[in-house]
Amino acid sequence: MLLWILIAAMTAAASLAILVPLSRRRTADQQTPTPAADEAVYRQQLDEIDRDLERGLIDRTAADAARTEIARRLLAANERREAEAPRHQSTVSLRTGQALAILALPAFALGLYIFLGSPNLPDQPLSARLEAPTENQTVEELVARVERHLADNPEDGQGWAVIAPVYMSLGNPQASARAYANVIRLLGPTVERVTDMGEAMTMANDGIVSASARSAFERAVGMDPTAVKPRFFLALALGQEGKTDEAIAAWETLLEGADPREPWVPVARAELERLGGTPPTLAETLRGPSREDMDAAAQMSAEDRQAMIAGMVEGLAARLQSEGGSPAEWQRLVRAYAVMGEPDKAHAALRQARDAFGTDQAALGQINATARELGLTVP
Amino acid sequence: MTRKQRRLTLIGSAGAVLAVAIGLIMFALSDQIVFFQSPSDIAEKQIPDGQRIRLGGLVEEGTIIRADDAKVSFRVTDTVNTVQVTYTGILPDLFREGQGVVTEGVIGPDGVFAADTVLAKHDENYMPTEVAEALKDKGVWQGEQ
Amino acid sequence: MIVELGHYALVLAFALTLIQSVVPVWGAVRENERLMAVAPPVSIAMFFLVLLSFTALTIAYLNSDFSVQNVWENSHSAKPLVYKITGVWGNHEGSLLLWALILVFFGALVGYFGTNLPAPLRAATLGVQGWVTAGFLLFMLSTSNPFNRIPNPPAEGNDLNPLLQDIGLAIHPPLLYVGYVGFSITFSFAVAALILGRIDAAWARWVRPWTLLAWCFLTLGISMGSYWAYYELGWGGWWFWDPVENASFMPWLAGTALLHSAIVMEKRDALKVWTILLAIFTFSLSLLGTFLVRSGVLTSVHAFATDPARGVFILVLLCLFIGGSLSLFAWRAPLLKQGGLFAPISREGALVFNNLFLTAACAAVLVGTLYPLALDAVTGEKISVGPPFFNLTFGPLMIPLLMAVPYGPILAWKRGDLLAASQRLYAAFGLSILLTLFTFWLWGMEKVLAPLGVGLAVWVMAGAVAEIVTRVKLTEVGLARGFARLKGLPGSAWGTATAHFGIGVTALGIVASSAFQEEKVLTMAPGDTVNVSGYAVTFDGAAPRQGPNYIEDVGHFTVRQAGVVIAELDPSKRLYPARQMPTTEAGIHTLILSQIYVSLGEPRDTGAIDVRIYYKPLITLIWIGTLFMALGAVFSMADRRLRVGAPKPAARRKAVPQAAPAE
Repeated sequence: MLLWILIAAMTAAASLAILVPLSRRRTADQQTPTPAADEAVYRQQLDEIDRDLERGLIDRTAADAARTEIARRLLAANERREAEAPRHQSTVSLRTGQALAILALPAFALGLYIFLGSPNLPDQPLSARLEAPTENQTVEELVARVERHLADNPEDGQGWAVIAPVYMSLGNPQASARAYANVIRLLGPTVERVTDMGEAMTMANDGIVSASARSAFERAVGMDPTAVKPRFFLALALGQEGKTDEAIAAWETLLEGADPREPWVPVARAELERLGGTPPTLAETLRGPSREDMDAAAQMSAEDRQAMIAGMVEGLAARLQSEGGSPAEWQRLVRAYAVMGEPDKAHAALRQARDAFGTDQAALGQINATARELGLTVP
Repeated sequence: MTRKQRRLTLIGSAGAVLAVAIGLIMFALSDQIVFFQSPSDIAEKQIPDGQRIRLGGLVEEGTIIRADDAKVSFRVTDTVNTVQVTYTGILPDLFREGQGVVTEGVIGPDGVFAADTVLAKHDENYMPTEVAEALKDKGVWQGEQ
Repeated sequence: MIVELGHYALVLAFALTLIQSVVPVWGAVRENERLMAVAPPVSIAMFFLVLLSFTALTIAYLNSDFSVQNVWENSHSAKPLVYKITGVWGNHEGSLLLWALILVFFGALVGYFGTNLPAPLRAATLGVQGWVTAGFLLFMLSTSNPFNRIPNPPAEGNDLNPLLQDIGLAIHPPLLYVGYVGFSITFSFAVAALILGRIDAAWARWVRPWTLLAWCFLTLGISMGSYWAYYELGWGGWWFWDPVENASFMPWLAGTALLHSAIVMEKRDALKVWTILLAIFTFSLSLLGTFLVRSGVLTSVHAFATDPARGVFILVLLCLFIGGSLSLFAWRAPLLKQGGLFAPISREGALVFNNLFLTAACAAVLVGTLYPLALDAVTGEKISVGPPFFNLTFGPLMIPLLMAVPYGPILAWKRGDLLAASQRLYAAFGLSILLTLFTFWLWGMEKVLAPLGVGLAVWVMAGAVAEIVTRVKLTEVGLARGFARLKGLPGSAWGTATAHFGIGVTALGIVASSAFQEEKVLTMAPGDTVNVSGYAVTFDGAAPRQGPNYIEDVGHFTVRQAGVVIAELDPSKRLYPARQMPTTEAGIHTLILSQIYVSLGEPRDTGAIDVRIYYKPLITLIWIGTLFMALGAVFSMADRRLRVGAPKPAARRKAVPQAAPAE
C-alpha cells in the first residue's frame, strides 16, 4: 500500500513540475527578453578588452579593432531585440501541455510500470532472509548461512564437515571437494574424508576419475587396504584409462566375498560385464522382478500394474514364509505393504520377520529401523 | 592578403595536413597490420618468413613445457593442424590447457612460431572472437549464438 | 519496496523525458514563454527521479538483495562494501543507469544554473538533451532493465568480475562517463542552436564551461583507466591502443579540438560551422564508443554480456542521433554568416593548426579502430591493428602539434608576428636544447629519438611557463609588480598555461618511461637476486594468504640500493573462487617519479616462480601530467567571466557605441 502512495506522490510531483510553469503568468520583470543575454556577453567582452589593454596584453590598435568588432555584434543583437514583436501566446498549446501533465503522464507511467514491474514482490535483503526462522528457510539459505559463518571462521573444520556432504547432495561437487579439502586440512585425514573428497572430485569431473582424485583414493587405500569405496573408484579409473585386464582383476577382487546387498555391487557387476569379465556368483543374490516383468509393468494400465505389483509382493511373501530370507528381503516386504496402504499386512510381515530372526540382534535392528522409518508401531 | 588568398591558405594547409594523415594511415595499414591465421591456414598457405602474424587456436592439452628464465613452449591447435609455439615471459592469468589463445609473432624457418605476445581471454565468459570463429570454421566449437 | 520504487522512478523519468522532448522545443520554436518555462523544472525532476532509481539499485546491492536479477548476476554477499557499491556500475544494466543519471545530471545543471542563457536556447537545449535521455531510457527499459526481479531468489550471487574488483577501475567509469556523457550537453547546445538558427560568439561562451567540465572529467577518467590497466593487468604497459581505450580517446581528441575552436568562435565569431560540427562529432564519437563496447562487436573486459538485440538498438540510436544532427547541420549551416577574418599567422591560425592536427589524429585512431571491423564485415579477413599502426600514424601527427603549442597563446589575434613570438620563447627554446644535449650525454647515441622527445616535452613545459612570464611582463616590471600582475591574470590564462604544461609533463613521462625502461623476465628461486637499473631485487619466497572473497599466493620481494633496503614488494596471484578466476596484482614501488614494478607468473613445483621486473623512469609523470591538464580545466572554469549563473555586472554597463569607428 505504501508503495502505491509513494508512487502516487511521485507522479503528482512530476505533474506539478509541468503544470506550475505552464500556469504561471509571466510578470514584466520576471522575464528576460531573449537578446539581453547575448548583449550581456558582448558587454563583458568589451570590459575584458579594457582590462587587457590596461595590463598591456594587447596594444591600442588591436584593442580598437576588437572593440569595433564586438560593438557591431552588440548593435546587431540590440536591433534584433527591437525588431521582435511580442508573440501571441497560443492557449491551445498550453491546454495540450496541461492535458499531457494531468492525463498522459500518469497513465503512461503507470501503464508501463504495471507492464514491466513487479509491485507485489517485496525487497529481500539477504540478511533478513538469513535471520528468518530456520524452518522457513530453504536449504540454499541454510547453506548460505553456514557459508557466511565459514567465511568469518575459515578454520572451523566442523563447519566444513557439515557442509561438504550437503554440497554433494545439492549437486555442487566442486564446492564439496573444496570443503572436504578444508576438512582434511583442519581435522586431519581419515579414510572416509579422503574417499569422499575423491568422490566429489570425480563427480565434479563428470564421473571421470582425474589424476588428483585418483591420488586421493590411493591415499585412502594406503590408510586402509580393505576399504571398499576407494578401491571401487580405483577400479573405475582403471577401466576409464583403458587398462581392461587390470580393471577386470580389480573388480573381481572387489566383488569377491562382497555382500550382495551393498548398493555398489550391481554397479560393479555391470561394469565388470561391460569390460568382458564374468561376475562371480555371490552367495546370496536378491531375487527381484526380472527385466521382462518390468517392461511388462511399464506397458500395463494402472490397475493391471497395481495387480501385478500386488502379485509380486504376494509371491515374495509366500517365498519368505516357506523358505525364509535375508533381513533385506523382509524389509522390502514390510516396506511394500506400507507403501501399498496395507498397514495390517505390514504389521503382520513385521511380526513374522521378528519371529524369523529370533535372536539375531543385527537383523532385528535393521528391521526395527525400517519399521520406525515407516511409522509402524514397534510393540 | 585578400580574403580569397587567406581562405586558400587555410584550405591549402588543411589539405596538406589531411594528405599527410592519409598518407601515414595508408602506409601504416599496408605495413603494420597483422593478419590472423589459424594453424590450418599456416599449413595451407605459404607465409613468408619473418612476416608477423597472429596465431589463434586452442592450447593443446599436455603440451605446455616450462623452461628456465620464464621460457615456455606449447602447441596451438585447431584440432586439425597444430603449431609449436615458443614464448618468453609471463603468460596471462587465464592461459590454460584446452583454452583459447591468441599469440602474435613470427614463424621461424623451422616452423616454430616465436611469439612475443600471448593473449588469453579476459574472463571466463570470453573466448577470443577470432579463435571462436576459426574453430567454428573447423566445426569444432559450437559456442553460444 | 525500495527496488520497485526505483523501478517506477525510472519509468516515470522516461515518461517525463517524452514530454521534455516535445513541449519546450515546440515552445522555443513558437517563442511561447510558458511552454519554454517547463524545461528547467522538468529537467530537475528527471534528475531526482533517476537519482532515486540509482539509489534504489545501490541499496539493493548493499543489502545483497538477490531478488533483483542484476544484483544476483553481479554481486556476492562476501564482497567488500566498496565493491558492492562500485558493482552497481560494473555491469551492463547498472552502467547504463549511471549513463542516464549523468545525462539528466547535466540537464539539471543547465536547468538550474543556466539562468544567463536566452530562454529559447535553454529550452531547446534541454529538449534535445531530453531526446538523448529518452533514447537511453527506452534502451534500458526495453532491453536492459536493471530492476528485473527473481521471485524465488537464490541464496548467493555470481560475484563481480574480479578484474573489476579494484579501486582504480571502480572510480574510472564514473569519471569517464561524466566526460563522455558530459559532451552530450555540448551536443544539445549545438543542435538547439541549429534548430533556432542562431549561432554566434555568445553561444561559444555559454557552451565553454560545459565543454571544460566534460573535458576535465574525461581526461581524469582516461588517465585513471590507464593507470588501472598498468597495475592490474600485470603487463607493465599503460596504454594498449585497445579499441575500448580508443573509444574513450577519440572523444577526448575531438573534445580538445572543440575546446580550442570554441575560443576562436567566442573571440572572433569565426569557425562557427566548424565548431558546431565538432560539437556534434565529439558526442557522436562518445556514442560510437558506447556502441562498440556494448554491442559485442568488441571483446574485452569492458564488453559486458552481449546480446544482439542490444547491439542493434544502440546502432539505431547511433544512426538516429548522428544522422539526424548531421542532416540538421547540412540544412542549417549554410545560413550562418561569415565571421571575423584572420591571417594564417595569428592566434586563430594557431588554433586552426591545433584543430587540423587533432582531428587528423582522431581520424587516424578512428580508422585504426574501425578498419579491422570493416574488413571483417566485408571480406571476412581477420586482422589486428596494434600499437605499431598507431605509433606510426598518431605519433608523427603529434610532433608538429607539440612544437606549435607554446606559440598558440603568445601570438596575437588576427595578425601575429612569428618572429616576435619566437623572441619571447627563446629561453624555453634554449632550455629544451640544453636538456636534449644533456640526455644525449647521459645515454649516448644509442637512442637518437629519445633525447629529441625529451627536448620536445621540455619545450612544451617551458613554453607554458614562458607564456605566463610574458603575460605579466615579469622581466620588465620586476618581481614585486610581477606577482601582483600574476594574481590579476584571468583564470582562463592560468588554465591554458597549466593544461599546456601538463601536456609537456605527460609527454616527458611517455618518452622517458618507454625509452629508458629496463625489463627483466626470468624465473627466480627463493633467495635469488636480480639487478635492474641499479636496484637489487631479491625474491624472498611466496606464501598463501586468504582474502575476503579470494585466496592469493603472495610473493615477497626486497629491493635494495647499494645494500640498503629501500622497499618491500608483495605482488600476488589471486584466485576468486566464485568465478574460478585468477588475477594478477602487481607490486609497485614509487621512487619519487620513477617506479619499480614486479608482477608474478606461474609458480614452479620447485618453489621458483616466473617474475617480470621493470624499472620505469619518470613513468608517474604520465598521470601527473593529466592531473595538470584537469587542473587547467578547473582554472578555466573558475574564470569568473564564464561562471554560470553569475549575476551580471549591471553597474558597469556601458553605452552602446553609436557608430563603429572605421577599421
